[in-house]
Amino acid sequence: MAVITDIADAIVAELNAATFSQPVAAVRHYLPQFDLKEMQTLHVTVVPKAVVLASSDRSRGQGDYSVDVAVQKKFETEANVELDPLMNLAEEIADHFRGRRLVSYPNAAWLKTEQNVLYAPEHIDELRQFTSVLTLTYRVLR
Amino acid sequence: MADLLERGSRWLEDQRTKHCTRDVNYVRGAASAVVRATVGRTEFKTDDGETVRIEFTDRDFLVLSADLVLAGNPTTPERGDKVRETQDGMVYVFEVMDWRYSDPYRKTFRIETKLVGTEAI
Repeated sequence: MAVITDIADAIVAELNAATFSQPVAAVRHYLPQFDLKEMQTLHVTVVPKAVVLASSDRSRGQGDYSVDVAVQKKFETEANVELDPLMNLAEEIADHFRGRRLVSYPNAAWLKTEQNVLYAPEHIDELRQFTSVLTLTYRVLR
Repeated sequence: MADLLERGSRWLEDQRTKHCTRDVNYVRGAASAVVRATVGRTEFKTDDGETVRIEFTDRDFLVLSADLVLAGNPTTPERGDKVRETQDGMVYVFEVMDWRYSDPYRKTFRIETKLVGTEAI
């Protein structure tokens, strides 16, 4: 398999094996597409995002592999007490991967985690749904 | 002198309610009321943003403002309220996202919803 799908699968495996403040059942998708009706339950979706290749030394190249992890759930009340646990879960996931190699793909070294979409205000407004997206980037020398 | 446009608009709204509506159940928490609603714009849409694509159905309901009475109190729609519409043995559950008056005289609500569930009867 492609390196990025191996990395994405390793992220899925870790998400599903770890213990967070609420149960997580992560799934990898190529084309993540859900109906709003399905979003009453927590969705954690893992999607390969980008690869940047560069030279490392004379014999090896390096690749930076970015994978998105989306945390999404439709809420009932729009109150902080309902949204805070979802923000907390996104942070827990970020903390879980920070500075660690992936158990089932140890060749990948964690490089950075970005949370450019801390939460999507348009989803709160238009869908009454919480959406937060983490981008995990790993470096592989090969 | 009477505002002829307002009188005409009110007459039209009454005719719409009399001839172009169906019963729906309007729900807020434990309170609910059966109201006559005209099904307005219905669109299937996709949100392409933020990694995951979300599909949903938009549906507007037109309801006389005087008809929306919950627990004995006249009220205006609120985000998160539900509209339950029964058709062909299924209940379609719509969630209120927004609302506005649909006429200049505030006689009718245009209630903007999204489909969030279906239930077999």
